[in-house]
Parts: sequence; C-alpha cells; structure tokens
Amino acid sequence: MSRRKADLSVTLGKIRMKNPIATASGCSGYGEELAAFYDIGALGAIITKSVTREPREGHPPPRLVETRAGMLNAIGLANVGVEAFLAEKLPALAKYDVPVIVNVAGSTAEEYVEVARVLDGAPGVAGIELNVSCPNVRKGGMEFGVEPAVLAGLVEAVRRVVARATLIVKLSPNVTDIAATARAAVEAGADALSLINTLRGLAIDPWTGRPRLSNVTGGLSGPAIKPVALYMVRRVWEEVAGPRGVGVLGVGGVQFVEDVVEFLRAGATAVAVGTANFVNPETGKNLIEGLGEALERLGCGSPRDLVGAVEGGERKE
Amino acid sequence: MAAGKAVEEPRRAGGPARRLDLAVAERSPAGRDFVWLALSAPPDWQSLPGQFVNVRCESDARAVRASEGRSLDPLTPLGAEEWPQATGLELGGRRALVRRPYSIARLERRGGQVRVHLLVQAKGPGSQFLASRPVGAAVDLVGPLGTHFEPPEGDRLCILVSGGCGLAPIFGLAEALAAAGKRVVNLFGATSTEAMPVRFAKKPRATGDHLEETSAVEEFSRLGVATILATDDGSAGFRGPVTAALERYLEGLEGGEKPVLYGCGPEAMLRRLAEIAGKRNLSCRISLERYMGCGIGVCLSCVSKRRDASKPQGWTYRLTCQEGPVVDAGEMVWDDA
Repeated sequence: MSRRKADLSVTLGKIRMKNPIATASGCSGYGEELAAFYDIGALGAIITKSVTREPREGHPPPRLVETRAGMLNAIGLANVGVEAFLAEKLPALAKYDVPVIVNVAGSTAEEYVEVARVLDGAPGVAGIELNVSCPNVRKGGMEFGVEPAVLAGLVEAVRRVVARATLIVKLSPNVTDIAATARAAVEAGADALSLINTLRGLAIDPWTGRPRLSNVTGGLSGPAIKPVALYMVRRVWEEVAGPRGVGVLGVGGVQFVEDVVEFLRAGATAVAVGTANFVNPETGKNLIEGLGEALERLGCGSPRDLVGAVEGGERKE
Repeated sequence: MAAGKAVEEPRRAGGPARRLDLAVAERSPAGRDFVWLALSAPPDWQSLPGQFVNVRCESDARAVRASEGRSLDPLTPLGAEEWPQATGLELGGRRALVRRPYSIARLERRGGQVRVHLLVQAKGPGSQFLASRPVGAAVDLVGPLGTHFEPPEGDRLCILVSGGCGLAPIFGLAEALAAAGKRVVNLFGATSTEAMPVRFAKKPRATGDHLEETSAVEEFSRLGVATILATDDGSAGFRGPVTAALERYLEGLEGGEKPVLYGCGPEAMLRRLAEIAGKRNLSCRISLERYMGCGIGVCLSCVSKRRDASKPQGWTYRLTCQEGPVVDAGEMVWDDA
C-alpha cells in the first residue's frame, strides 16, 4: 500500500536524520544490542548510554523497579569509560548507517570538557548530548543542570572544544522553570536541546519499609511522565527554541506513534524512545513504520510540517 | 573456574533472541501454586537448559476471566511477602510495562512441533496475568536469552539442587543430562509438600533427618532420575533446607566421587550452595534471579557482583541477562545480595 511515501527526514542541529525517531540514552545500550531485533540503520539516530572519563561500576542492585505506568531507575552511570567506548563500542556502530549521538556525563566541568573533546575528534560521532540532568549521582549530573548560570558555564566550556559534532544539552525536569535552563544552554552555545531527563522519584516497600532501589531515589520514566515532557517541550519551544530556530529532541514516555505526533506538535523536531524499548525492543522500528501512515492521515508531507502545530494553542492564564 | 578473568565471553548459545508471539498450546496446574504453560514455538527455535525468556505481562480482564487460574480477588488475604505490588497493571489500556523473566523450564520437540514450557507461580500481577493465559492466547516474549547449563565431562555425578520455583530450569536440565547418559540425582526443597510444583505418583514419605531417594516425583522418575525431597515443615522427605540435605548427601558419597553441582533457587540458598561447593572444591553452576528491565543488555539494571582480579576493588558488576543467569558459583561476590 505504498502511495506517495512521506519524506520522514528531519535535521537536528547539524545532524541529518532519516526520520525523527531516535533511541534515548540509557535505553538502547551502546546501540548494537537492539540490532538483534531490527535494522538499527533505519533509526533517525542512536543516543548511547552516558559515557564518562573513567569506567564506572554503577550502583548496587536493585537498580530498577516498576512503578505505576512507569519505572524508577538508578543505574549510577555504569559505563565502560570513554577509552573503551571509542575502542570497542563506537566501531561496532560504524557498520550501520545511523548518526550516533554520544551522551556524556562527568563529575566535574573538566571531565565533561575532556570527554567531549575526545569525542568531537572521533569519526562516527555525529552528536554529543550533555547529561546535566542525571538525578542518580551525587556528583555531576543534575547539579550542573538546575542553576542556569552553572549550566551556562559548563556549556560554554564544552562548546569551546566541540567544533564538529552537534552539541545537544539534555535538560532536567527537576527545575522551577525549564525555559530558564533552556535559555541558558542555548545562549551558551547549544546547537539543540533534548528534554526531558527522568523526574526524581521514590518507591518504598510498604511491608519492609525499605526503599526499593539501593540508591533510595531514582529517575522516573515511562508513560507516567509523558504529559510532563510534552508540557516542557511546549514551554521550551514557545519561549526559546521556536523563536531562535533551535531543534528540540522530545523524550519522555514515547511508546506509540500518537505519542510521536504529540511531541512534534508540542514543538519537538524529533523524539527519543526510552523505556518503551524495554517493553518492546522493536518499538523504534514500529514507530518509523507507523509514522508514515500517521502523516498520510494528517495530510502532511513531512514531520517538519507538524512541529509546533497545536491548534488554538494560546494558553489561558 | 575462578576469579580473575577480565573478560569472560558470555556463554550464550541456542538461537538468536527474537521477539515472538507464541500461542498457549496447553496449560495444566502444578501443585497448589503453579501453572505449566506449553507455548508453541517456531520449528527453528533453539534454546538450552538454563536460558530464559522475557515475557510481556499485561492485564486483560477477559483473559483473566477466561482463565482457569485461581482467584484473582484482590481481597484474598495475603502475607506481607506475597502482597501483589502495584505495577501499573490496574491502569488498563496502553502503558509501559517491564517484561518478566522466566526460565525455559523444558524444551520439547515432538515431530515437527516445538514447545517451550514455562512454570509460572501466580504471585504478583505480572505472573497472575501470565498464569491466567488461556489455551490459544498469545504470549509476547523475547528469547531465548542468557547463558545455559552444560553437561559435565565424563561420568561425573550431577547433583541438581533447587528450592521453590527454582525447580523450573531443573526439569529441562535433568532431561538433557539424562539424555546424555549422565548419572543424575535431584535434590529439591520447598516449604511444604503442597508448595512443590510437581506430580506425585504416590505420596512422598516424610523421612525426618534421613535422606531417602524417592521415585515419587513423576517428572524425574520417568527420566530415571531419583529425587531427594526436603521440606521446611517436614511433610515430605528430609526436614530442613535442601542445602543441609546436600551436605548430608555429599558426606555419604564414596571417597573418589567428585560430583558437579547445579543450582537454582532463592539467593540465600544459592549462597549456601556456593559455600558448600567452595569448601569442597566442587564445580558448581548456579542460575541467578535479578530484577530485569529489558533482558537484552540495554538497561543495565540486573547486575550481579562477580570476582574480577583485574579491577582494583577485586570485583565488577556483570549483567545477569547477558553473562548469566547461569554462572559459576565461585565467581560470585555475595555481599550485596
């Protein structure tokens, strides 16, 4: 039933994506794990698990627990370290025709800068996503992402060493006003924004009284956070990204093609699939297939036509 | 096989992992608390004892009603340990739901037909849903996944040690070992006779502090495998933990015998089993259980702590879904279990 096939391609920063479907950081490993289930070359982009300068073991288990309509995780940035990432993980992705966005985390601004510099020089890295919003580590992560001035300082420092790759800043929802951090990131030189990271949450075993995660708190993800993510994408698009022509990668509860359309309408250029990869490892493929049909139904030739398209979207306050 | 291998190749085998919808071909109760589900698998399905599948468990009221499972009445009084955890199942409709890992209890090939057998204990909402699937319903699973049990070299005695629902992969392992002509004895423990997910040809005897090999357990006696039962309440076989029964059994072995141990069960049982094997320098492979988000090496949540001399701290976290669930007991570091 292929009539006129919609052109699904979009551009995020300098990254040409075949379609607006990416896999979110931490939800697709280093990319290749999902290749058992579909051709990951069909994806718009792959965003890796956070990479830090040194390898990290991460938190003790339990690291993940299901909650109503979502899940909490506190992995603790477990990763192989940037050296092993470049030696082992990145080359494995080279055979797929897909832009690779590497998520970067650090305990200090210097660490972010150092890792970003190395990655910017590595062939095969299309984008660098700064994780300034991990709610699960004491040092680094969210502490860089909540104060606009602190965030601006970090993004500026990283910007100076990232010339080639698209620099994306992943924003935390655990803030008073996400437009303020979005503005700080863009003014400091971010090429694009991704939002949202997980919301800090807690689950307790009512009978033992023990927190369900070893780290006590974790990051909430899944369908439970989708309305929050949509609102924040909308807010950032209206206040910062739309007027300045900066791309937004929408993240948070994307599972069905309707979710993709909602994020586009809210103002996202593309979306990243997170928790849904766990529910169904084929989600990325299904969304790409379904999006063409959805656009056809909407009479749209391109997902670009939908970005920001909310009918009667004036807020009443 | 001990400590300090920096990079161990995951012992994966069987066919590639796929996401499949497999129809329930048959279901039957097993003991008081369990249901056997036989799923029709494609002819090219390949899996080995100890591997697992990751099953999507969504609530479906019609399926629950159509099921022959026991009462799903939420008001049924339950102990604190067995209280169903709220998981989102009650929300209905479309939602994310983390898959549940299940051991492939048996793989059956008959003519061109392949059946994957799962042993399901209806406990929380996910397992209640799976246990309720009627014949003909489709079960959405990803698999086969993980490492597997291997038969020993030569004629060494294989001792299978399991507790509770840890018996699941032991069925398939016993079949494979028996088919390979190995000598096998099966030690199985549970809280009570009723809690055992097996078919009894006759009532098993309570033997107090003695061990007795019984042919009462049909699933094993038909393979020519003798079973030694252990129960906490003493209602069948040895009274006490299955690991105590194992120690007794090992003491009674002939001098030259160097058995290999295989284990699956609660963490405390596995830990004790690893201690017993370590003390006697016996080869011991165990199947771990961990909370899993994805089962395919992506979410990094199912880690278990393993010895690793190449790390300054002497250990590292490894993914139980990839470098497990079957591991060498001697590799484990148990302190945060």
